[in-house]
This record gives sequence, C-alpha cells and structure tokens, in this order.
Amino acid sequence: MIFVTGPAGAGKLDYVLSLGYAKDDISCGQITDRPVIADIQDIVMNSDCDPAELVELLEGKEVLVCDEVGSGIIPIERDMRKAREAVGRTAIELAKRADKVVRVICGIPREIK
Amino acid sequence: MLILITGGSASGKSSFGERLFCELPAENRVYIATMKPYGAEELEKIEKHRKMREGKEITAVEQYTDIDRLKLPGRSSVMLECVCNLTANEMFDDDGAEHEMTGRIIEEILNVSHAAENMIVITNDVGSDVESGYSDPTKRYISAVGKINAVLAHEADIVIEMVCGIPLLLKGDRIW
Repeated sequence: MIFVTGPAGAGKLDYVLSLGYAKDDISCGQITDRPVIADIQDIVMNSDCDPAELVELLEGKEVLVCDEVGSGIIPIERDMRKAREAVGRTAIELAKRADKVVRVICGIPREIK
Repeated sequence: MLILITGGSASGKSSFGERLFCELPAENRVYIATMKPYGAEELEKIEKHRKMREGKEITAVEQYTDIDRLKLPGRSSVMLECVCNLTANEMFDDDGAEHEMTGRIIEEILNVSHAAENMIVITNDVGSDVESGYSDPTKRYISAVGKINAVLAHEADIVIEMVCGIPLLLKGDRIW
C-alpha cells in the first residue's frame, strides 16, 4: 500500500493520477470498493470508530491519501482537538503499514519511507 | 548536543523524542514537563506521556516557567516538552495578562542546553494556519513560537520534523 500525505491542496491527488490511476479509481471521504481512498481525514472526523478499527477497514486498498491537519494553533474546541489527534494517530498507523509513504508539498512528491 | 524536534499534533514527536532520549548515553535523564494540568484533557495527556516514560529511569519534573532554575545533575540528558506550552506559560498569566518573553524563553532553553550533556526540545508547527481568524495576542504568540523555533533550529546540532511518525532530517547528521 502507498500512503500519501501532505497539506490540503498540495497536489496529492495529482500525484495519485501520475501513478496511472483514473479519477474513477478514487473515492473521496468514504470507504468504497475503489482501490484509492482519499480524504481519510474526513472519514476519521466523521466516524466514531477509533483509529485501529478504521485502519482495519482500509486493509487491502492500494493507495490511501490523508491530509496533514496537525499544524497550526491547537483549536479551542475540544471536538476539533480530538479530531486532529485521531487523524494524526490514524496517519501514523497507516504510515507504519505502508510499503511506501509519499509526502507532497507544493506539488512535489517526496518519498519519506 | 541540542536536538530540536518539530511537527504537527499527533505526528509522533514525543515517542520519537523519547526514543532518542533513551538511546543517547547519559548518567541522568531529566524530563521537563511544562503542561499545566488545567483539566481532564491535560491530565489524560500527562498520563499518556507518563506511561510512555514508565520503566525508563527518567526523572520527570514539572516546571512551567524559568526552566533554567532547575538544578541539573552532572552529565544529564534533558528532554523539554514543549516549546509551545512553555511559551504560553511565560507569555500569559493565568488571568490572561500578556508579557513579551521571546528573548527570555530562548535564553532559558539555551541555558539548560549548555548545562546539559544533551538536550532534546519538542516544539510544534503552530504557524501553518490561517492567522487572520485569531486575536492579536494569539497572533503574537504564533509569531513568538516561530521566532523561538528559528533561533533554536539555528543553535541546534540536529533538527527533525516528524511526519506521520516518520522522522525527516532537516539539519545535521542522522543519529538513529
């Protein structure tokens, strides 16, 4: 599995397309039978399951894409803080299981694992 | 040696920092915790970090400001967690009064670094955010942390950015 991360709008989906996937191969914000699941941060924030359960649900996918959301001022709202924490922990788990981790900044993909 | 570790929330800064902290040779390991236990959430985080340190022969001290007042034993490794809390504690009183402390915060961290054999400093990338929505004191806080990070990175032998639990070397030699 390839795990793709980086800030919002940094060019992560363009990177996925450059791997040879079509737009129809990508499911954004929900887990479907498509091989690429993107916007995992939204899935984490909109679901009640803990990072470990979610990681199980994503087992077998070819490419997983998740925004980095932990930078910036720690939010005042408790729910938002918990959501950021959950996204970060999920990303760490996915990065551990990935064969390759790519971080995209300013459209530039960098293989970090 | 001064090692600065930055990264977003929940990017694995603490666990990687503690790994280096335990791997670096030292006669004494002193962990400086700066988070004030205001409520249940802080206590939960403090407990989580305490569990991570369990069984690792680390002396933990709580020092919310003026960390250079601590008397360090000889040949100590120190881990400071974290610049963001220390800065908030120094800049804002409990009643919210604000003080310009950027120079003092840099000084106290570097004083500890010079007194210690090795120092690992954890910080956070608070500046990658939409600044316009914040109050002026918060904007000044963001700018203070940014400046402190830059000076510490300049002084540091090694600077690491954590991304999804993966350490990226920004400066210096890879020691892990």
